[in-house]
Amino acid sequence: MTLILFIVRKLGGAAAAMLTVSFLVYMALEVNVEDVAVKVLGQFSTDAQRAAWLTANGYDDPFLIRYGRWLWSFVSGNWGESTYYRAPVIDLVPDRLAASGLLAGGALLVMVPVGLFAGLLAGMRPGSLIDRAVSLLSIVTTSIPDFASAVFLSAVFVFWLNWLPGASTMLSGFSFSEMVLPVLVLAFYSTGYLARVTRASMVEVMGTHYVRTARLKGASPARIVWRHALRNALITPVTVIMLQLPWLLSGVIVVEVFYAYKGFGTLLYDAALNSDIRLVEACAMVSVLVVVATQILSDIAYGWLNPRVSLLEAAMGSK
Amino acid sequence: MKDLKTNSDRPLHSSVKDLVEQVRSGAIDRRSFLRASAWLGVSVASASVFAGMKGEAFAQTETPVDGGTLRFACQIQELTDPMLSSWIEASNLYRNSLEFLTYVDADNITHPYLAKSWTPSEDLKVWDFELDERAKWSNGDAFTPEDVIFNIERWIAPDSQSSNKTAFSAVEKVEKTGDHSVRITLSRGVSSLPEQLYSYTCPMVHRNFVKDGANWPANPIGTGPFKLESFEVGRQAVFTKRADYWGTPAHLDEIHYIDMGTDVTTHLAALASGQIDVIYRASIAEYDLMKSLPNIQVLKANPAHTLVMRMQVDAKPFDDVRVRKAIQLAADNKQMLDVAYRGEGVIGANVHVSPTQPDYFPLEPVTRDVERAKALLAEAGYKDGLDIELTLGNTQGKWEQDTAQVLQQNLAEAGIRLKLNVLPASQYWPVWDKVPFGLTYWAHRPLGSMTLDLAYRSGGAWNESHFASKEFDAALDKAMAVVDPAKRSEAMREVEQILQDNAVMVQAYWPSRFCATSMKVRNYKLHPADYFRMDGIWLAQA
Repeated sequence: MTLILFIVRKLGGAAAAMLTVSFLVYMALEVNVEDVAVKVLGQFSTDAQRAAWLTANGYDDPFLIRYGRWLWSFVSGNWGESTYYRAPVIDLVPDRLAASGLLAGGALLVMVPVGLFAGLLAGMRPGSLIDRAVSLLSIVTTSIPDFASAVFLSAVFVFWLNWLPGASTMLSGFSFSEMVLPVLVLAFYSTGYLARVTRASMVEVMGTHYVRTARLKGASPARIVWRHALRNALITPVTVIMLQLPWLLSGVIVVEVFYAYKGFGTLLYDAALNSDIRLVEACAMVSVLVVVATQILSDIAYGWLNPRVSLLEAAMGSK
Repeated sequence: MKDLKTNSDRPLHSSVKDLVEQVRSGAIDRRSFLRASAWLGVSVASASVFAGMKGEAFAQTETPVDGGTLRFACQIQELTDPMLSSWIEASNLYRNSLEFLTYVDADNITHPYLAKSWTPSEDLKVWDFELDERAKWSNGDAFTPEDVIFNIERWIAPDSQSSNKTAFSAVEKVEKTGDHSVRITLSRGVSSLPEQLYSYTCPMVHRNFVKDGANWPANPIGTGPFKLESFEVGRQAVFTKRADYWGTPAHLDEIHYIDMGTDVTTHLAALASGQIDVIYRASIAEYDLMKSLPNIQVLKANPAHTLVMRMQVDAKPFDDVRVRKAIQLAADNKQMLDVAYRGEGVIGANVHVSPTQPDYFPLEPVTRDVERAKALLAEAGYKDGLDIELTLGNTQGKWEQDTAQVLQQNLAEAGIRLKLNVLPASQYWPVWDKVPFGLTYWAHRPLGSMTLDLAYRSGGAWNESHFASKEFDAALDKAMAVVDPAKRSEAMREVEQILQDNAVMVQAYWPSRFCATSMKVRNYKLHPADYFRMDGIWLAQA
């Protein structure tokens, strides 16, 4: 019951956030009506053709009415035509989103086990050689931005060693080797970050009284970590992982463009470059949806890990 | 003279005699002789033998191998009506399926194509084209004079939005003169008409093109050696070899054009790792990386393509010729070439005719004079300097912006404060002919007069500077009617001088052009206009 109430409440908030964003996006893109006509009809169209198109498509109406109409058609699944791809927007988005989901999933598969394991290992014995090595490595990886590590990894694995393909277009179906570099670049940054957060959290938990008590009782180190420390130490890293999800989906633009990976990031990038207004609007709305959905998921996971956090209270916004 | 033959077996045009004398006396080189005699309908094979160029023109050391798939990295842009295309990159796709009346090779020599011969009248105003009777459309229809008439009339129709409307403005009439012959009548003599017919906006589409929806990828009928199998903007276009092609069959079974975005480093990475075989273009930024890669061949050429920083002569403050002159005088063309393109190219003379074009006349270049620029500005009422904005789109790469930045510093010395308005490439094209001061990339044209005809003739569709001068138009008409290469260049002196005196643009340099292919690609030549015909290309067996 609590969970349902929590979800209902959160969905309400999500809807409000999406409504706000939709208004801002629409305002930013569709105030200049003249541009819309040029984009749809092309640079060779005449002024008369543009005026006729604008009238036929209801662009003579006041802004708010146009916004309301657009919102209604968006909600009812009519996302308009892409002027660049010459296809319905709604047909373009799901495939690209799935492709980015695949990339993000791959990055998570690398980042979560490696980051958590390295962080826990380092945090168990602060100051040890392992701890120092993990800390050093994670500082190095988190200080290199993705556009730099993409160039660096390509220089090594494509141009120098010739082990991996340099572009990841996946035109002839799924290819594992084409996935490796983009996944590595995405995971490179996040893994170090996750390891550092996990390490800090683990160090804190290992110093708490209940772990000390367990140690005094004579529990084995494995039992201490597994039974007493782990679940508590995971609360912060799980939040971090959840926060990475929207970043992975919408922040992959650099990696996707660099490797010519046809995902959601390149779709948004091409749409923006070519002023494909309907497509930009749809991508923006989908991005908000992804962010809001992962936030709800992360709240639920948080509550499961830490029973002291009440979902109901979280939902109502009270302490 | 006896060895020279026309493709139509008709008598030689009287100008051929002059050309023969000039090549014998050494006044023109053999390549110029080939080019000019080909315009007049002389068979290239006979002209090559005559000029003693057989070995050079037809050398081929390897036997071509049939089969295989060639993978070509380039942008897959939206394309509907070929005559409206403003991207050469897109034209390379339909070049596989759509053919032209003539074919201009990488050496700028015009050959028969859908037209097997042409004969100009003495005054170069009436041109008789004989069509190849074997030519067939992929839907089974024969290629007929009706197709040619349909296309040319559409280019020059009053409501036509095609750049062909300006390029073929001299066309008065196109008529059928036989089952396979067409006559084009011009209002003034144009010697290079056969060469112009290979411009990228001139492929022959089927006579029912408009009736069928005027959308080529949706209804890809063509006469060419390949058939369009699939076309997805931003992803990929696939062509397959046609078994029923009317001409010499192509070697490749399939061509895959793959969109890898705009970052050439990615294209090179894909080439290095064997995912693709050809990259369409690389700029100076990738030159070093390209040269360092094993197993790829780097191709380099010096076509007549350039960046033009043109000023609209009817927009303030550029409507004052003193302002335009001051900008030219303050600009350091050599520095722009050296800094922005690392010296890989040739300096320009602000007249948009390249020394590599046969009709070029070497004018005295504008020498840099900052003091005189300042004086001119003061005279024009800008004693305290001038604020202007240059719009550019890096449509060919970052070197466009680098060039503009050098200009910015040059102009600052004369008290001109230049602001750069940098747009994404695709946002530049919608405004390229609208901004008062813009930096536009102009592709190669075989002759300087062709570019000037498109870009600076009064009222032309692509006249982005709004330059309008009756004397210029008349001088250009005169130059375009001359066949003799030496006389043509002399006639261009006046044309170039008018442009230079009016200070329409800063045209700093002619950059070299680069591209790369894998080692197994054979017979791929860097066409100066970036027109790549794929039917002669083959892949060596590993």
